[in-house]
Amino acid sequence: MTSPGDAAPVKPPPSFSPGVPRVSSKTRYPERRDSSASLDPERVEPRIASPPTIPLSNTTDLPIRSGSPSARSVRSTTPQIGRTSLGSPLDGRADSALDTRSLIIRSFSPVVGVYSSPDTDELVRQKGFKGGFWELIRPFGENVPGKLVIRDSIGSSRGWEDYGVRFVDLGEICRAPNDPNQGRSSPLAQVEAVLAKQLDSTDGPPSGAIHPQDLVGLSSTSPLYKLYLRQLLSIASVSPHETFRHPVASVIAISSRNSAPLESLRQLYADTNNGQRKVPEWIHPEYLRYYVLVHDEDRDDITASTKLYDQMKRHFGLHCHLLRLRSNQCVVTDDDSVQVPECEWLSPSERLSERPEPLVDLDSDGLLYLFDSDVMAIKGFVRELIAQSVVPFMENRVAVWNDQVASRRRGISGRFMSMSRKWAGFGSSSRSSSGSGGASGNYNVSQGYYHYDHSEAILRKMADYAFMLRDWKLAASTYELLRSDYANDKAWKYHAGAYEMCAVSTLLNPLGAGSKIKVEAIDQMFDTACYSYLTRCSDAPTTLRCLTLAVELLRSRGGSAAESAAKWAMRAMDLGLVESVGQGLLSERISSCYASRPPPNGVRFGGRRRKAGMWSLFAADMWLRLGKPALASACLEEAERLYADVLGSDGVFPMPEMQTFVDNLRLSVKVGYLEARGLDIKEETGSTDPLDDEETSEKLDRRMNRRSLIGNLNPLDTATLAQLQTTRDGDSVPSDDFERA
Amino acid sequence: MSYYFTILSPTDVPLFNIAFGTSKSGGDGIARFRFPDAAQNTYMTQFIIHSSLDMLEEAQWMGGNMYLKHIDTYPPASAYISAFLTPSGTRFLLLHQPPQPNLPASGAAGAGGSIGSSTMSLSSSGMGGSGLFGGSGMGSSGRTSSSSIAANPTAPQTEEAVRQFMTEVYEGYVKTVMSPFYKRGMEIRSPVFRSKVSAAGRKWL
Repeated sequence: MTSPGDAAPVKPPPSFSPGVPRVSSKTRYPERRDSSASLDPERVEPRIASPPTIPLSNTTDLPIRSGSPSARSVRSTTPQIGRTSLGSPLDGRADSALDTRSLIIRSFSPVVGVYSSPDTDELVRQKGFKGGFWELIRPFGENVPGKLVIRDSIGSSRGWEDYGVRFVDLGEICRAPNDPNQGRSSPLAQVEAVLAKQLDSTDGPPSGAIHPQDLVGLSSTSPLYKLYLRQLLSIASVSPHETFRHPVASVIAISSRNSAPLESLRQLYADTNNGQRKVPEWIHPEYLRYYVLVHDEDRDDITASTKLYDQMKRHFGLHCHLLRLRSNQCVVTDDDSVQVPECEWLSPSERLSERPEPLVDLDSDGLLYLFDSDVMAIKGFVRELIAQSVVPFMENRVAVWNDQVASRRRGISGRFMSMSRKWAGFGSSSRSSSGSGGASGNYNVSQGYYHYDHSEAILRKMADYAFMLRDWKLAASTYELLRSDYANDKAWKYHAGAYEMCAVSTLLNPLGAGSKIKVEAIDQMFDTACYSYLTRCSDAPTTLRCLTLAVELLRSRGGSAAESAAKWAMRAMDLGLVESVGQGLLSERISSCYASRPPPNGVRFGGRRRKAGMWSLFAADMWLRLGKPALASACLEEAERLYADVLGSDGVFPMPEMQTFVDNLRLSVKVGYLEARGLDIKEETGSTDPLDDEETSEKLDRRMNRRSLIGNLNPLDTATLAQLQTTRDGDSVPSDDFERA
Repeated sequence: MSYYFTILSPTDVPLFNIAFGTSKSGGDGIARFRFPDAAQNTYMTQFIIHSSLDMLEEAQWMGGNMYLKHIDTYPPASAYISAFLTPSGTRFLLLHQPPQPNLPASGAAGAGGSIGSSTMSLSSSGMGGSGLFGGSGMGSSGRTSSSSIAANPTAPQTEEAVRQFMTEVYEGYVKTVMSPFYKRGMEIRSPVFRSKVSAAGRKWL
C-alpha cells in the first residue's frame, strides 16, 4: 500500500503537457511526500463540479483499478503470481477473440434497402420515428432472433446465432456516388471525434455509470476499442470496388392507408428499376424485392388488409409480408412499452449527429418506445424476411454464379482465357465481352468501375455474397481468382479489395485454424492491399480498416501471428492514419497483441512480456498527454502486471533512464488522477478556474500564470517548480543538484 | 547511422553503455537518434533494447552461434538490434538506426556532416549500388566495404561489419573481465575498454 506517508522519495515530475519536452532530470530530491501539499501545484486541477467530499484515504489509492486490493508502485511491486496466472488471460482472451471475430463478421452483413411509400412513413412518424419506416425497423435488423441456418456451396448447413442485416434507406445507396464530394470532414476525423466524445462523456463525471476503468480491460478487448473498431468498420459507404454495401434485397413497403395499394406498389417498384431510386451502373440491379404491407392496428380494418395481402401474394409471389403495427405513439408509462434498441452499426457521421437530440426534447428523454406487440411483429417480420427470402436468395445467386461464371474461370479453359488475356494480341479479339472501356478488358478506366454484368463484377459480387453467407472457403478462392484480373486491368481499388478480402476470408476460415497457415502469405496479401489502397488510391479510411482487420484477425490466431498483428498495428501508426485517441488505443492493442503471445509451456523465455509492457507504458504516456489519467493509470497497471515476470523481485528496471521515465509517469498519472477526481490539493495562490473540460489548454494557461507569478523565465519547469516546492516546504536541499538538471 | 551499444549481465543489468554515430561516409561519430518525440531520446533506446530481450531470450537457445545477427526491429523508430552472446551469458546488444529510412543514405549522410574525406565521397556517391560492390571487397579490407553499411541495416555486409565489431569488443571485454579488480556483475568503468569500444565502432561501423 503506497500511502503518502511511506512513499519512496519523489522525483521531480515531468511536465506532461503536449508541447513541452519531457525533461527527465537526474536529480533526486529527498523531499518527503508527507501530505498532499507536496503534490505539484501546477498539476492541480480543481474540478468544482465533482464532489470534493471524497475522503483523502479513499482517493490516495484510486489510480489503481478497483480490482486490485492495493496500490502498488513499479518500484515496490512484488510479482504477484496469483494475479498474473489468473483465469483472465486464458478464457478472457479466448472470449474476446471470439467477440472481435463476431464483430468483424457481423460488420460484413448484407444490406437490405428500404423504400416505403409516403403513407407508410406518415404512419410510422406518428409513432415518433422521424426517419420513417426505415428508422423503425433498422435496429431490429442487426440481430436476427434465433438461429439462422445457412447452406454453403458444398451443401453442408451451419446455424448462426448472430446473423443480421443492415437496413439502409434505398435513396442513400442511389445518392452514394456524390458522397465523398460533400464537404464533410474525413471519415477518420469523424471516428476520432466520436471517440473523443465518448471519452469525454465517460470521463466527465468521475463516478458516472461507466467507470473509465472499465474502458481499458485487462486482457480482453476494451469497450472503447470495440467502439473504435465498430466505427472503422462502418465507415464504408457504397462504392464500386466492393459489394458489401450494395443492396442484396429491398423492402418495398406500403400501408393499409393507401387508397390504391397495388398501383403504388407498382410505382415503387418502377422507381427502383428506372426511376429516382435506380441504382448506379455498377450495382447489380437484380436484387430481391420484398413487399410489405403495413397494417394499422389502431385505425384500419384487418379483414380489408388481409384481402389486400392475399392479392399481393397473388401478384408478387412469396416475397410478401403483412406487418401489423399500431399507429399510436407509445410512451414509457404504457403497460407493455419496450424501449427501442439502439443501433449498433451507426456510421461515424450518424453517431456524431444523433447525440444532441436527447438534449432537444428532454421530455421524451430522446428514447423511443414501442408496444410489445409491435416489437414482436417487427422481429417476426425481420426473421421471415431474412430466413425465408434474403438468405435463400443469396444462396441461390451464389450457386448460379458459381456454376455459370466461376467454374468457367476455374476450369482449364478459364485458365487459358485469363492467360491469353495477358498477351493481349490474340486474347482480346477472342473475348466475348462488350469491351466497354480500357484496352485490357472490361474495366471502365475513366469512371473507375466495372459494369455490373461483366464477369469481374459478378465474380466479386459472388465472392462477397459467399463471404456474407460465411462461406469463407468459397469466398477466399474466388477472391484469389479475381486478384490477377484486377491487376491486369490496373483496377487498383478492386485489386486492393480483392487482396484484402482474400486475406480476411482466409483468416476467418475456421478450417484453416487448425492447420498451419502461411502467415507470410497472409502478410503479403495485406501488404499488397495496403499499398494499393493507400499509395495507388490514397484511400486512408479503407487502408486503416484493412490494417485493423489484419491486426484483429491475426491476433485471434495467436502464436506468431499475434506478433505479426502487432507489426501491422505499428504500421498503421507509422503511416499516420490514426490520430491521438487512435494512437492510444492502438498502442494498447499492440501491447495486448504481444501479451497474447504466451511463452511456450513451462519455459520462461519466448513470451513477449517486455514488449507488451513497453507498449502499455507508451499507451499510458499517450493517455496522459491526452488528459485521460484514468485510462493512463489502467495502462500503467497493466504494464506493471506484464513487467512483473521479467523484472526482479524488487520490480526495479535495471536501466536507470527507464526507471526514471516510469517513476515520472507514475507520479504524473497519480497527480492527474487525483485532480480529475476533484481532490483539491492546491492550497495557495492559484486562481480556481471555473470548470473547464479542455484540460490541456487549461494546463497551458496555468503554466503562464505560474511563470509570471514566480517571475522566473527558466524554461525548465521541473527545476523551477522544485525550487518553489523546496522553498515552501522549507527543506534544505542542496541546490547544486537541480541547477544541473 | 546512429548506434547504441549495451552490455547486459545475464540478469539484465546493464554493465556498459555507449552511444556513438557512424564514422563512415563522412559521419562525425556522434549519435543522432530520431524518435517520434524529441523528449523520448533519453529513455527510448533503453526501452527498445530492453524489449528486444524477449527476442534474444528466444533466439539464444535456437542456435549455437555467439553472434545472433539481427534479432529484432522496432518499426516506429526503424531501429534494428543485433546481439552477441558470450559464453558466460552476458549479452552484447547493438541498436542501430539508419539515418533516414525513406531517403537514400547518401543524401542523409551528406546532411549529417560533410567533414568526410575525399575517398569517402566516392563511395557515398555510388551508394545506390552498395549492395553489390560492397560485398565484393569484404574479405580484403573491411574499411571500404563497411563504409556502405548505412544503406541497409539487414544487408549481409552490415551483419558482417557488426560481427567484426562484436568480436573486437568481445576481445576487449574478456581482457577487462579478467582484471583482478573486476568482479562479476560489476559495471565496467574501465576507460581503456571504453576507448577500445569506440575505436572498434570507428573501425567497423
